[in-house]
Amino acid sequence: MASVITATTTSGLTQQADNSGVLQLASGAGNLVTVPSVTGTAMVSGNMPAFSAYRSANQSVSINTYTKCQFNTEEFDTASAYDNATNYRFTPLVAGYYQVNSSIYMSGSAYAAYNKIAIYKNGTIYKENQNGASSAIFDSAIQVNSIVYLNGSTDYIEIYGSTSIATGTIFGGSATLTYFQASLIRSA
Amino acid sequence: MTLYDKLLQLYPSLTQQDFLTTIRLQNDLDGKGDYIAKWEHPTLPRPTDEELA
Repeated sequence: MASVITATTTSGLTQQADNSGVLQLASGAGNLVTVPSVTGTAMVSGNMPAFSAYRSANQSVSINTYTKCQFNTEEFDTASAYDNATNYRFTPLVAGYYQVNSSIYMSGSAYAAYNKIAIYKNGTIYKENQNGASSAIFDSAIQVNSIVYLNGSTDYIEIYGSTSIATGTIFGGSATLTYFQASLIRSA
Repeated sequence: MTLYDKLLQLYPSLTQQDFLTTIRLQNDLDGKGDYIAKWEHPTLPRPTDEELA
């Protein structure tokens, strides 16, 4: 059961009430939004931050050193929560659980052996991935994906990468291979 | 010479596996350069700043 407010095509706005604590908003015949009787925040697209950015040019890094990747070009940033110019971090102002995806294309003029990538939360490794590349491969891309809780005020995330490529070590500039994305999937 | 190169010069026995597990070098791009963020090598002591200078 629920208390229902309905926008009809014959009588305008109608309402019926009960004691369930559940509210339903109905539009026309069959379009229904239910607000349950639970604690939480109703999420709509306007308050669900999402962004995508990529590295547009090569970034030189030291061998075997976890280095922050500077994703400097935004594809979208719905809440202006990603800093693509100074700190290269995502600091959303809505608390909740965020799906985070990132990839770094690592390249050089010598054989790769090991690559690593990590999501840093507030300056500390949160999740990471590593792989070993074939000795016949000069470069490769590595990905990390995770769900991260961010408190909507001070929490931030960044992406770091590391590679053992010995000469000309870089994070390759690429819109499709070197990117950082995050989107709210559930409020706090 | 990078910090990694200096460490290999100081400790030639270091392996790639060490840098995957017990040692983490890091650069936050804050102007301070590469530094040792983690040193948990089971036998080799963490180098001093003087040794890495």
